[in-house]
Amino acid sequence: MINTIDISHYGTVAESIRIEAARILGEGLVTAVVAYTAGRRAGSVQPAIITSAAEAERLTFTAASVNNLAVYLTKAKKDIPRSGRIGIVVKGCDLKALVGLMGESQLQREQLYLIGIPCAGVLASTVRPAEPLTAGNLAPKCRECDAQLPEGCDYVPEIDLPLPTPLESTYAAEIARLEGLTPAERWAYWKEQFAKCIKCYACRQVCPFCFCEQCLCDRNKPQMVDTTPRPAGNTAWHIVRAMHLAGRCAGCAECERVCPMDIPLNLLNRKMAKELKELFDYEAGFAVNEKGPLTMFMEKDDQSFIK
Amino acid sequence: MHPEKTISSDFEPKVIAFVCTWCTYAGADLAGTSRMQYPSNVRVLKFPCTGRIDPVFILKAFQQGADGVLVSGCHPGDCHYIAGNFHARRRFAAFRKLLEFVGVDLQRLQFSWVSAAEGGKWVEVVTELTEKVRAMGPMMEFKELALEEQWSGAMISPELQDAYRQI
Ligand code: SF4
Ligand code: SF4
Repeated sequence: MINTIDISHYGTVAESIRIEAARILGEGLVTAVVAYTAGRRAGSVQPAIITSAAEAERLTFTAASVNNLAVYLTKAKKDIPRSGRIGIVVKGCDLKALVGLMGESQLQREQLYLIGIPCAGVLASTVRPAEPLTAGNLAPKCRECDAQLPEGCDYVPEIDLPLPTPLESTYAAEIARLEGLTPAERWAYWKEQFAKCIKCYACRQVCPFCFCEQCLCDRNKPQMVDTTPRPAGNTAWHIVRAMHLAGRCAGCAECERVCPMDIPLNLLNRKMAKELKELFDYEAGFAVNEKGPLTMFMEKDDQSFIK
Repeated sequence: MHPEKTISSDFEPKVIAFVCTWCTYAGADLAGTSRMQYPSNVRVLKFPCTGRIDPVFILKAFQQGADGVLVSGCHPGDCHYIAGNFHARRRFAAFRKLLEFVGVDLQRLQFSWVSAAEGGKWVEVVTELTEKVRAMGPMMEFKELALEEQWSGAMISPELQDAYRQI
């Protein structure tokens, strides 16, 4: 197919992960490694947590390694970070999520051993995991990725080929299209999108930043958001979700990937990221910041919208 | 026998004002004690600080039938809790962009700084918002959603249409 993306180095990367994971586990540097193992179908992977050097040979990395493993260090497996230093395989976007979590005091850098991936992109969908990666089936977030080489990791496999140059952002184009509509047209668009939501909360489960013990949207005293998968509750859920992630979201697009109803969740995230960049010159990156854009302020902040 | 209900065509907008207790509430109080007139369309909800006003309150207000929402507190530097209004300013700067993006007309959402001494400004802000919203007519978007909570009506997917035909 046209516009094939060169991911020939993923084999080397996978081999390097196996060697490094075996080494750090063998030397007792870490107690566990969070990584990908091969799935049942060719090319497919699944997240795995290994605790012995012998298991390291199961590890792999392919274009289907879509999962943001950072989620395993917050709520999904709370006991893991407590068990000692943890090795984790991260793509650039995943690392941004970890960095955000460090900024929010959910993790400490010393607790982690970061294995960074020089990433050329992953598939948008893992339905056909062995398909060659092209500009057509590349995940939209990877098109505009500026974090292909994670910074500040403990180990990054060496590769000798240049990483692909970013393509035109499909999110930016869609945001611009929506911004060009009237409020009523935008409302109609989102109403149709939100109506599809079945409130499975997969988007919340997969997000590394949705680590609250009790989500506002689950509380009923007082109830702020209707819990039913019906139009009013859905709209409120999506607005609240986007707002709670604004200034924190790392842009891993996991929420959008896991949504069974194909709701463009990351479009809201990207829009908020764009606004926060314009308003407060903030962008998710590799540097740990104690304060996010919405937990700090400056006296000179814009207030032209306030009477 | 039920007497014929007269449906009034005069639209009286509902305006919800979220205010901080230290400045704007006192300012509104001053307007009252000074016997200044302002539209009775506004319902005031008092909070300790604008920093306590969660964006979800605004959503809830619209869902419950508000046609316009006002958020008002102390001027920058005057916050009783030192920085609550600075935090609120950032949060609402972001939130209004989000609302705008999902299709809410921002004309219906007003922010203001009204100090305890500014009874006149309170009257001005409230009157202006009320009249603006009156001219715009009722805010239907969220109300329609609330109605659709009862029945979704729209059968946009083939599966739904199929299921409907089989009934
Ligand atoms: S909101 Fe979505 S894109 Fe952002 S960090 Fe969470 S899962 Fe990733
Ligand atoms: S994953 Fe999709 S369908 Fe499920 S709650 Fe999130 S937006 Fe709704």
